[in-house]
Amino acid sequence: MQETLTTNEKPESNKKDVIDEGVEKGLARLTPEKISTVINQVLTKETGARFKVYVETCMRCGLCADACSIFLSNDRDPKLSPAGKVKQTILEMINKKGKVSKQLLKDVVRIAHTECNVCKKCSMYCPFGIDIAYMMTLVRRICHKLEITPLYIQDTVNSHSATMNQMWVKEDEWIDTLQWQEEDAREEFENLRIPLDKDGADIMYSVIAPEPKFQAGLIYQTAVIMHAAGLDWTMPSTPGWDNSNMAMFTGDFEISGRIARAHYETATKLHVKKIVMGECGHAFRSVYDVGNRWVGWAMPPVDLVHAIDFYHDLLTSGRIKVKEQYKKTVTLHDPCNVSRGRGLHNKAREIVNILCESFIEMTPNREHNYCCGAGGGVINCGPPWKGSRMINNREKKEQLERTGAQVLIAPCHNCHSGLEDIVHHYGLKMEIKFLGDIIFEVMEKTIYQKDS
Amino acid sequence: MINKKPWDWDSEKKEIPVKEWQERFNWVEELSVSPDGEKIASIVNLDEAQFSACVNGEIWEETFEKAWGLRFLSNGNLTALVCKDEEWTVCVNGSFWETRFDYIWDFQFSPDGSFMGAAVQKDGQYGMAVNDRMWDELYDNISGVVLSCQGTSAAIVQVEPLGQGDIEGFSRGIFSIAVDGIAQPEKFMNIWDLSFDSKGKQVASSIRKNRIDYSISKNSQAWEKNFQFAWKPEFINKDTSVIAPVRQGGKWFLFKDEAPFWDKSYEQFGQLAIHGDGKKIAAIVSDRYGKWTVSENDRTWALHCDSMISTLFYSDNGDSLVAVFKDQGFWDIAVNGKPWNLKADKLWNPIVSSNSEILATRMEKEGIFYLVVNGKVYQERFDMIFEPQISPDNDKILLKAMKNGIYLRQILTLDKVL
Repeated sequence: MQETLTTNEKPESNKKDVIDEGVEKGLARLTPEKISTVINQVLTKETGARFKVYVETCMRCGLCADACSIFLSNDRDPKLSPAGKVKQTILEMINKKGKVSKQLLKDVVRIAHTECNVCKKCSMYCPFGIDIAYMMTLVRRICHKLEITPLYIQDTVNSHSATMNQMWVKEDEWIDTLQWQEEDAREEFENLRIPLDKDGADIMYSVIAPEPKFQAGLIYQTAVIMHAAGLDWTMPSTPGWDNSNMAMFTGDFEISGRIARAHYETATKLHVKKIVMGECGHAFRSVYDVGNRWVGWAMPPVDLVHAIDFYHDLLTSGRIKVKEQYKKTVTLHDPCNVSRGRGLHNKAREIVNILCESFIEMTPNREHNYCCGAGGGVINCGPPWKGSRMINNREKKEQLERTGAQVLIAPCHNCHSGLEDIVHHYGLKMEIKFLGDIIFEVMEKTIYQKDS
Repeated sequence: MINKKPWDWDSEKKEIPVKEWQERFNWVEELSVSPDGEKIASIVNLDEAQFSACVNGEIWEETFEKAWGLRFLSNGNLTALVCKDEEWTVCVNGSFWETRFDYIWDFQFSPDGSFMGAAVQKDGQYGMAVNDRMWDELYDNISGVVLSCQGTSAAIVQVEPLGQGDIEGFSRGIFSIAVDGIAQPEKFMNIWDLSFDSKGKQVASSIRKNRIDYSISKNSQAWEKNFQFAWKPEFINKDTSVIAPVRQGGKWFLFKDEAPFWDKSYEQFGQLAIHGDGKKIAAIVSDRYGKWTVSENDRTWALHCDSMISTLFYSDNGDSLVAVFKDQGFWDIAVNGKPWNLKADKLWNPIVSSNSEILATRMEKEGIFYLVVNGKVYQERFDMIFEPQISPDNDKILLKAMKNGIYLRQILTLDKVL
């Protein structure tokens, strides 16, 4: 049974007692020499002027603190302010010239991997624009090289490295799932297809691995939307179909780059004009901002469109028409990586207003929204950290509760999973949906004709 | 390779109506055209869970519950991956392979079409099948399958079990390279980018030895030297040496047999191109962040692009080094560093004549397909163009295209196109 915390319950203070097997075994293997060598190697060989400026500029003014929902969820504990997290991690390593204890490293892993969503909201509140998420990612990079990354997310990265998808989906399972969804979606349109490897299609549609693994119905829904919109699209049968990238969040930049390269090379081999990706925020960050840049592509080498942008185009161009608006009251969660990261929040609102009768804003919203609490790979650190994550998500829970909405729309997979946890843990009466769920529910199931 | 001499290089135009297929079948899938342009085919749906292939209007006698990946091989054989009685196999010109699988994918064939291979799964175990023969040994998982020109097959296989969340087991190395089904004893944490030598006997790959050390393996023997990362290796010098892009100190280098090969370092490397078994070596490189170019024997082109170079290859005689690249949002081709300035929305790799003097390809621009020869756009507009061909005496182009629902096979003399 799910445990339930009330709104006023104080946060627990036992977060430091979490045992993560990946971290514990990694720490046990470390020697003082290894620790200082790795830390100093990363700090001196993998950083430059940017890092130096950040370290020298931060004057501990604390203006970043109110941006952080984890700080707010923990009774404004200064240790959980963004600047506080930097002080306890990277600054300690600098001050001690890499000669830090295993206990400190254990705290460092907890802070960098589970108490910071690398959501970048604090950068907006810093008077100097210091990118604290970058600093935390650097800490994670050190953890990666010391092999003390939390177990669950490391397993996910291992999957990425071996299969080019995050959930150990085997190559045949992927194709079989697409063919199965294609068959099922013929319930909606008898001649519907999910064209595999269609050379020269206009669009390659890419998803994250949880879709074929657990949420294949989302592929079904997308196939229906694509078919109804009369689009020339395809999905690849080969590795490169998964746009997600947890390696980006563990500081395993090499694997992160290989994942991004596989994604774009897959699209290029199919000669598509653009990639449309499903509703996932971190994956967007990976292929738009991070993984591509490690490969040397300053911008995506193939046009890349997040689902919000795509749906907006379909609905405003009339390719998808709404039969009847959605009746329940809805609120919208702005995913960090496509709101702060890409500015899609207003388009998301326009979509919601087209689809739904009653839309209630949550506060704060748009680029000021609180992270779902799952982002930045935090939820991927797995069950050992779920309890502390729920404590750290108290502010988010209160924000959701204040809306009084029946339905929470979250156009991001990670957000979806994190918000599900919050809703269940705190006993909120909210359904959580993707934009695609609602489009599928309210759309006219007819095929778009250009002349109409 | 393909003997094009017997093909019809004289008939100016042949037509096959295809639009009517839409009326005959519930739906028609992607069209595929034979190398000689005489046949056009598609998977078609006849009824619920009943598929076949339609070739020039005639359907195969056999029907399938599912079918995908229809393609003509270079020798003209038409192949598809098909499911019949809930078992998968390969169908060639309407006839099944005898061996059946629980699934089959990643179909590949040798340049002359005489060898066909694919990844297969049977009873939850994984391997490859080549010309209707499955590997004797199957494994827990498979990836990165490759087929050599001589029909040897190789893949990355999982040779140790891995429990859920077993990151310790993963770090010990659970993957090996299997050649013709036989797994090599060496195991690595990761293996990628398998590459056969020219005789199909040796295999090189990029590998990961532990969390941070990457390297190259040749016949499963890892280079002793470790790197920050590595991309796909290739054999050169009559298969005695292996070259690979590797990362050291944050920069990329081309190494040969564990030693620096090119002097310069680069921001990044892409695919390698080799001619004359190593006399000419070229690579897609980035020599400053966000800018891509080609380096030939460690000398970069003046031409740079801001998006990507998707393909790099030498013509058969080595005179032309061809790059397909994207700059400022449009695709283009450069030959020996000189761009064609096509500004294409979609662009395919060109085919090159035996004397390297003619390059022909197809592009899409604002929804219209065009034939392009030596950078000149043939002005007739099409709804679709398939891969063109150049005649053996290098004076004609075989154009294969769709227009208003009719498939057109046209022979164009070079003077008409140029």
